[in-house]
Amino acid sequence: MDGCQSGVPTYEGDLHVVAAAHHIVKALGATKNLSDDLRKILIDLDSHLSMITSNIDSKGGRGLVDVEERLDQAERKIMRWETDPMMIWDSGPKEASDYLEAVDETGKLVDGLRGLSVHENRKQKEILHRAMNILQMAMSRLEEELIHILVRHGQQFEPKHMYSRSIRKDIVYDESFVSVEDEPTKETSSRNYSNDESGECIVDLVHADVIPDIKSIAKVMFTSNYGPEFCEAFISVQKEALERYFSFLGTKNLSIEDVLKMAWTCLSSKMNKWTWSMKIIIRVYLASEKQLCDQVLGGLGSVSSYCFLEISKATILCLLNFGEAVAMGPHRPEKLLRLLDMYETLACLLRDIDTLFSEEAGSFVQLQFHELLERLGESAIAAFEAFRVAISSNGSLCPFAGGGVHPLNKYVMNYIRMFPEYCNTLNLLLKNQHPGVADRVTEPDYGPDASLLTYCPMAYHLRSITSCLESNLHKKSQLYKDEALQHIFLMNNIHYLVQKVKGSELRLFFGDEWIRKHNAMFQQHAMNYERATWSSVVSFLKDDNPGSSSMSKSIFRERCKGFSVAFEEVYKTQTSWSIPDPQLREDLRISTSLKVVLAYRNFLGRNLAYTDDKCVKHTVEHVENSLLDLFGGLSRSLRNSR
Amino acid sequence: MPATDYQASFLGRISIRRNQVIAMDGNHEQELQDLELFSKHVSERFAELLSSPDDVPFDALLSISWLRKLLDFFLCCEAEFKGILMMGNDPSQISKPPLDRLIPEFLDRSVKALDVCNAVTTGLESVRHYQKLAEIVVSALEQKPIGDGQSRRAKKALTSLMSAMNVDDKECSAAKATERSWSFSRRGVSSKDRVPEHFRSVSNQVAKNWSAAKQIQAMTNNLVPPRGADGSGLASPVYTMSVIMVFVMWALVAAIPCQERNGLLAIHFPAPKQVNWAQSIIGLHEKIGEEWKKKEKKGTAGLLDEMQKMEKLGNILMDFTDSFQFHGDITDQKAEEAAAHAAELAETCQRMEEGLLPLQMQIREVFHRIVKTRTELLNALDQVGKSSPPLL
Repeated sequence: MDGCQSGVPTYEGDLHVVAAAHHIVKALGATKNLSDDLRKILIDLDSHLSMITSNIDSKGGRGLVDVEERLDQAERKIMRWETDPMMIWDSGPKEASDYLEAVDETGKLVDGLRGLSVHENRKQKEILHRAMNILQMAMSRLEEELIHILVRHGQQFEPKHMYSRSIRKDIVYDESFVSVEDEPTKETSSRNYSNDESGECIVDLVHADVIPDIKSIAKVMFTSNYGPEFCEAFISVQKEALERYFSFLGTKNLSIEDVLKMAWTCLSSKMNKWTWSMKIIIRVYLASEKQLCDQVLGGLGSVSSYCFLEISKATILCLLNFGEAVAMGPHRPEKLLRLLDMYETLACLLRDIDTLFSEEAGSFVQLQFHELLERLGESAIAAFEAFRVAISSNGSLCPFAGGGVHPLNKYVMNYIRMFPEYCNTLNLLLKNQHPGVADRVTEPDYGPDASLLTYCPMAYHLRSITSCLESNLHKKSQLYKDEALQHIFLMNNIHYLVQKVKGSELRLFFGDEWIRKHNAMFQQHAMNYERATWSSVVSFLKDDNPGSSSMSKSIFRERCKGFSVAFEEVYKTQTSWSIPDPQLREDLRISTSLKVVLAYRNFLGRNLAYTDDKCVKHTVEHVENSLLDLFGGLSRSLRNSR
Repeated sequence: MPATDYQASFLGRISIRRNQVIAMDGNHEQELQDLELFSKHVSERFAELLSSPDDVPFDALLSISWLRKLLDFFLCCEAEFKGILMMGNDPSQISKPPLDRLIPEFLDRSVKALDVCNAVTTGLESVRHYQKLAEIVVSALEQKPIGDGQSRRAKKALTSLMSAMNVDDKECSAAKATERSWSFSRRGVSSKDRVPEHFRSVSNQVAKNWSAAKQIQAMTNNLVPPRGADGSGLASPVYTMSVIMVFVMWALVAAIPCQERNGLLAIHFPAPKQVNWAQSIIGLHEKIGEEWKKKEKKGTAGLLDEMQKMEKLGNILMDFTDSFQFHGDITDQKAEEAAAHAAELAETCQRMEEGLLPLQMQIREVFHRIVKTRTELLNALDQVGKSSPPLL
């Protein structure tokens, strides 16, 4: 093409060659089935050839007239719209393509005239300025049309297909544990979102029908060197749309100071929202935005990624800052699960982020997210430690009434029941914690049957947490003056611990050996309880001289009275004790019954002669029935059965 | 995990240090030397900033490169400060008076500084937008010969540029409105028919009702020079570092468009004039304050050197495009002048192109550094709280 411009023909012969070439080009251009590229080349060639001709002619004064005519025609088409209140692209495809054609023509004339402007020619300069002026007008108009199309055909989409797991209730650590209740176990299964929902999530941010329109505007604006104007307009509309969507998701901008001061319930819901918004913004919105940029600006080098970065940066910074603020906040135990949610979400989005911001300009964003992930991980570990500290340092001055399951125990077990869901993440994060302690050597041998899960870092930390818990419960048991109640308390709590482990995925991490050991432990406490309470009571019923017929009446009376008093005392005290688990309560009653009722029946049986005496306050049946009242949590006193 | 690694080594060092403290008294002297060295470095660095020549565009007060130097110095001072505070001393000191009060106050200031960093980062996005508009002006005026079309193209971009800079100055929270205004001017259809009403940006704000000026004002709360016996101990570097932090944030907000800057000028921090290191900071504060006053009289503000240059050139070129449209044509001399100004604007754009992103990254680095130090200080306080039983 340069050859055509530089060698301006001066001879007749040349003129013929140019004319012939012009004809050929025109004929070729009329052919259908030409590729776009080829057609463009032909059109360019055509415009250059006509320019050469007109330049040659201009020596005779005729050529510029031709150019002027073409410009007049284009100008008419362009100026017509300056007074029309309708938008061109709203008026129909014919209007739009006519307009584009006119702009294209003007652009070509400008290029052509510029190529020849080495020859100072007043007339030519004048036409060039006029053409450029028309071009400027058209570009301004195209910019408006672009904004109009983007705004009018921007698509709203509902984030309904993104699953949110925000419904799970929080377990808040608070010294009084008022909020701790056993939750129905089915809630655990609420986390079934999948990590590989990318790909099908791309939506049309702008209606697909208008993409070719936007592309054609981009093409003509970039060709005329109005690329920057196109970008600024495109960026500002798309940036607005993203920000509007962002606030539609309910994510408000918060200063770091605000986040640090925020009450837990509020922060927790914001953390949930962040997790949720991140997924939608990165996976859906930005992926779609990137696609739009590529569709419209693909083939223009780094323009597409530049626009994408400018559109998304402000929102990205906003998401980053909330993450940073959360990570630097106080590491309270209840934050752990939310932090893990954030960590996992970010971890599985990192690949998407890396792809979205793969160009050099976006490496800043990439880096920031990688750093944030690291900090969220550190923060989660710190919250984990805070959890452990909270467990071991939870102290109380008064014994827990009734000897039932302590709220601390409930809190801890309900909390760690969630851990298996975060198994991979926790293993990753905990791997480097306390190197050495996780050594298998220090662990009891879990036998050949133990699964691999029993040995993972999380399993170790879980057992270490429950052993913290156990030692704290032992400390708490010491607050009871009554040894029997100490055992009831420990029996209840260890039983609860085992039940929670057995009844959830935790059992895989704790292992059968742990469960066996702890089963034995609470059974031991049950036996110790029986010994502590009932040995002395039953001792009244003992046969001192086995073999001899019967004891003296006075001894019988004394024994009988002793038993009654002791039994009534036990009844009075232990009806107020509590064994919340019905099965455990039943088992303990049966075994107590076996021991006490049998001994009492034998005692009375051996001394049938005296059984009518009024010193026998309780019948066997009465004793048996009374035992059923124990551990009901309500203090009662025993009345005479006769 | 780096944090815990650090913790471990940090505690290790403490126990060694503690033994040394008991063993010999020479440590106190070491501490005094450290403190002296710290304030010496501070005064050297700020003296260098103060002596920046105004006529060299690269290093001019509040230019991009000047700000980058300022942030560099901040990072250096911060590193030294942390060294003094945490490495060389008995850690229990930070939980004893007066540090038990000063450290939490310092941490509070740090958090406020983080929000300022974020506001400024956002502000730099606006500056980048100005740069892009100015680049359009340049590319329009670079065309030769310059015609009406090019002049109108330049004028359009200039109008957007000037109004964006002015609105950002007055009310930065509504900054986004300006980025748009240039797009919806003609057509006779009022702009609200085309765009939704709630067009105001959200991401451009730190938070609703947040004010950079108030934030910095709040950072100066309780900021008083240590007196009497406190003056010799660690209270003094805490104070020094606080003043540096407040000053750096103040300067950033003065230079870069920022959410709500009303009242920024009124802020003054009580730095002791007689102290060496403070003199340069006071000098800089006064110098920037004067600049601010000059700008405010003209109804605009935004002290970033490159922005001021842009504004000045913008006004000149605006006049040029106006006269162009009025007369239809211009003399060669005028055209040459305009070309020279456009070239100057191009140079400013180039400096922004090279400097803005690194500046933004540096602010992020400052952000992360402040977070890190805060975490380490909190951990140290936590450790001290655990290791020393509160019996005494």
